[in-house]
Amino acid sequence: MSVMEKFKRAFFTENPVTVMLLGLCPTLAVTSSAENGIGMGLATTFVLVMSNLVISIFKNVIPARVRIPSFIVVIATFVTIVDMGLQATLYDLHKTLGLFIPLIVVNCLILGRAEAFASKNTIGQSLLDGVANGLGFTFALFILGGIREILGSGAFLGMPIIPGDWRTILLFVLAPGAFITLGFMLVGMNKISERLEGTKS
Amino acid sequence: MAKQEESGLKIILVLVLIAGLAAVLLAYVNKVTSGPIAEKKRQETQRAIKVVMANEAVQHPEMPEPVKQVDFPAEYFPVRNQADQPLGYAFKVEAPDGFTSAFEILVGVDTTGKIVDTYVLSHKETPGLGDGMMEEEFKKQFRGRSLDNTNWSVQKDGGDIDAITAATITSRAFTYGAERALRAYETLKEDQ
Repeated sequence: MSVMEKFKRAFFTENPVTVMLLGLCPTLAVTSSAENGIGMGLATTFVLVMSNLVISIFKNVIPARVRIPSFIVVIATFVTIVDMGLQATLYDLHKTLGLFIPLIVVNCLILGRAEAFASKNTIGQSLLDGVANGLGFTFALFILGGIREILGSGAFLGMPIIPGDWRTILLFVLAPGAFITLGFMLVGMNKISERLEGTKS
Repeated sequence: MAKQEESGLKIILVLVLIAGLAAVLLAYVNKVTSGPIAEKKRQETQRAIKVVMANEAVQHPEMPEPVKQVDFPAEYFPVRNQADQPLGYAFKVEAPDGFTSAFEILVGVDTTGKIVDTYVLSHKETPGLGDGMMEEEFKKQFRGRSLDNTNWSVQKDGGDIDAITAATITSRAFTYGAERALRAYETLKEDQ
């Protein structure tokens, strides 16, 4: 599979969020702004790439019967590294994402790629798979966060873009707004995917 | 993935090996990051103390001391200005019963028992509603208030504090949190 094809799949036709509906807990919970979406997406991408790498290296050593516990230990290790690393560098972002960083461990996107891809493919392919899916995930969270931030807080990436005396739709930064926005995003992304796939319905 | 049926010994060995490697890696990362993390936390505390003391704070201890003899958790930093004069205290108190959970605020109290300013250290209140407690509009009404000159509840409950629209619960919690800081101040003064 070509690199282009891989990215097209990860971003549109097989996007982890809008098509596979994987990892919805962080998706819905932290995307109250575009910046939070990017932060969460990149943290997840790092964990995904590293765990794909390590698992594809050790795929012939890990006994099939204990592969899930082994994957989880690998994933949890990288999540802890992200947690400590973020706290040491981007302290304010870490404060916002807070509780949801440790929860990357149970993001089924990561375990899903480990089980379905990295444990069966070469190191290079697994790395590419991690980068593509991670960025696809980040892309979806960025769009979701961006829409919610514009409608809910009248800003984009922290910069006010709607005149101050206009009322913003508060609902969109609250939890129900996440579900509503995601619903509309699914419709939109399905349309785009259909176009990319050609005319098959 | 190795396909044939593995022996129990191999399974145990591999799991121990993986866990061991993970432990070594984490110990190393922890060693590298613990310094910067402590430094960031210290900077944040310093920034907060500056805010609640109207930027005059120059000297204060690294760690707060607990206020004893009060029936709620409270800690304080004695704060001094450039000329080494006591400015008052910065109290770290918990605002109980926030909308989602209790949250932590820092309240600067001057030597006459009046609030200088407030700062929210950590919270999980609703963005767009409860987090209005960090904005000037809400914060400014606390400056200069003391236990004597204020009825410490929100206007809805017959008090003096103008609550944030649609965030009465957060405002109420914040108000009680600020009052706690003043009560801690009174207790501290009686002790001396």
